[in-house]
Amino acid sequence: MRNDLASVQAFLASVIPGHAPIPDDPALAEAAARFVTGNGRLTPAAQVDIYRRQFWLRHREILRDDFPALARLLGDAKMDAFCRDFLDAHPPTRAPFETLIEPVPRFAEAWPGFETQAERTFAADLTRYEIALLEVRTGPDAPPLDPQKLASLPEDAWERARIVLHPAMRRLAFSYPVHRLRKAWLVSGEPAVFPDAPSPAHIALYRNRELVTHFEELEPEAFALLDLLAEGAALVPALGRLAEPLPEERQAHVAASVGRWFQQWTSLGLVVDVDLPSSS
Amino acid sequence: MTAPDRMRLGLPDLGIGVGLRLPHYEEIFETRPKVDWFEIISENFLVPGGVPLANLDRALAHYPVIQHGVTLSIGGTTPLDFDFLRDLRALLRRTKSPWVSDHLCWTGTATLNTHDLLPLPYTAEVVRHVAARARIVQDTLEVPLVLENVSSYLTYTSSDMTEWDFLTAVVEEANCGILLDINNIYVSSQNHGFDPRAYVDAVPAERVVQIHLAGHTNYGDYIIDTHSGPVIDPVWDLYRRAIGRVGPVSTLIEWDEDIPPLATLLAEAERARVVREEVLSHAK
Repeated sequence: MRNDLASVQAFLASVIPGHAPIPDDPALAEAAARFVTGNGRLTPAAQVDIYRRQFWLRHREILRDDFPALARLLGDAKMDAFCRDFLDAHPPTRAPFETLIEPVPRFAEAWPGFETQAERTFAADLTRYEIALLEVRTGPDAPPLDPQKLASLPEDAWERARIVLHPAMRRLAFSYPVHRLRKAWLVSGEPAVFPDAPSPAHIALYRNRELVTHFEELEPEAFALLDLLAEGAALVPALGRLAEPLPEERQAHVAASVGRWFQQWTSLGLVVDVDLPSSS
Repeated sequence: MTAPDRMRLGLPDLGIGVGLRLPHYEEIFETRPKVDWFEIISENFLVPGGVPLANLDRALAHYPVIQHGVTLSIGGTTPLDFDFLRDLRALLRRTKSPWVSDHLCWTGTATLNTHDLLPLPYTAEVVRHVAARARIVQDTLEVPLVLENVSSYLTYTSSDMTEWDFLTAVVEEANCGILLDINNIYVSSQNHGFDPRAYVDAVPAERVVQIHLAGHTNYGDYIIDTHSGPVIDPVWDLYRRAIGRVGPVSTLIEWDEDIPPLATLLAEAERARVVREEVLSHAK
């Protein structure tokens, strides 16, 4: 039986994520005694079990902290079950907590603990939103748009000017208005229940110049335009691509709205620069 | 006797500090309390931008800030994470922290990150393994690495030396500093039945760069280092003993669970200041 550092660590890493107390499992208790001494008060298995309990408490706390609306919706017992199953399916392998929580929406989308597929879809939307809130809060900084630069652009610039969006901004499309529900539950204290029916929503989630996070609901076409701009398309070609598949009435709506959208995006700080490539 | 200028490896004594924690931010920034320095958990600030770094910059405008880490896993058997070290180094450029600390422990394997600070077997082989990694880390970060003794809840059958001999051997072989956590010494001494005074008396005084003080939770059969509640009297006694040996060393109050109002934390820091000055004035 090897007792080198790697073997010790491999043994502990194999038992620490377990659900059941290590002293209750004779084989694990015997294995623990090969690596760990115990003392007059605690057996080797009982000593190792302290770390097993700490592992669960620590990761449950992380998941509850990062997904407070999900925790509120599920209640203590069901949230614990969700956390247990999630940690079984996705044991943490890297240090940053962002890597731990990244698979939560995908996991929620398939978790058998939800009663219906609608509940799973809702939970996936909600957890995606809660992760985005964390990302926006800590995303990259960017200096605000220089109004002088905007004013000095030549008339034909919009044909080729690339609009630079704030790198911390997230564009999110949901089947349910999770952004409004989360606020109602956590800020207004309304009861957290699954909504009766879907109600698709498109939002931009951003932080303002005071670093406070807000959402802005967008029309589907405005959302699609932001997507195209984020891909690097210049404004006029992007509008062309956006309008092409739309019925005439919606095309007219886009044409009538784009000025207002752009003004709104610049005032919210979603647009941080206009990059004009040289025409040569 | 070590020459005074070689104490703390020549690093400065910053006085008495507290951990910079979210619930206190606004009060700290508005009232600028009398605190000599703040310690941050480095990992909380390894982000591209936004709120955490803005708050860090507000603290840096008025106070020295020291970086303390929890994920280095210096005793791990997986390769060192050079992406993490690169980010840590970038943060050091921002904070200008004169040293960087982390724990003498391991945190995970290739298959599991426990997000915990697990003790290492105390053997010569592990000393060599940890010291080699510590030298690389120190070389990469280009600031002195300071290793903290952890609280532990188990001991290994393979250990063949005391924890303090192990700590001494690692820092001597790696040529790095010690963050002496007095509460961790107390917790481990109660969990494993050794005399905490022997630990304090044995560490190489000239390598102690920083001290931690904290509360803990006693579960009867064992004690957990929860960083909750005030520092207890036996830990204050050990602190007196440590200061008597190591002299004026930057001291920090840690309080991470059931975080109290800032005034309570500052009162605990003030108590550390009084204790430290008492011991130092008697030593003169």
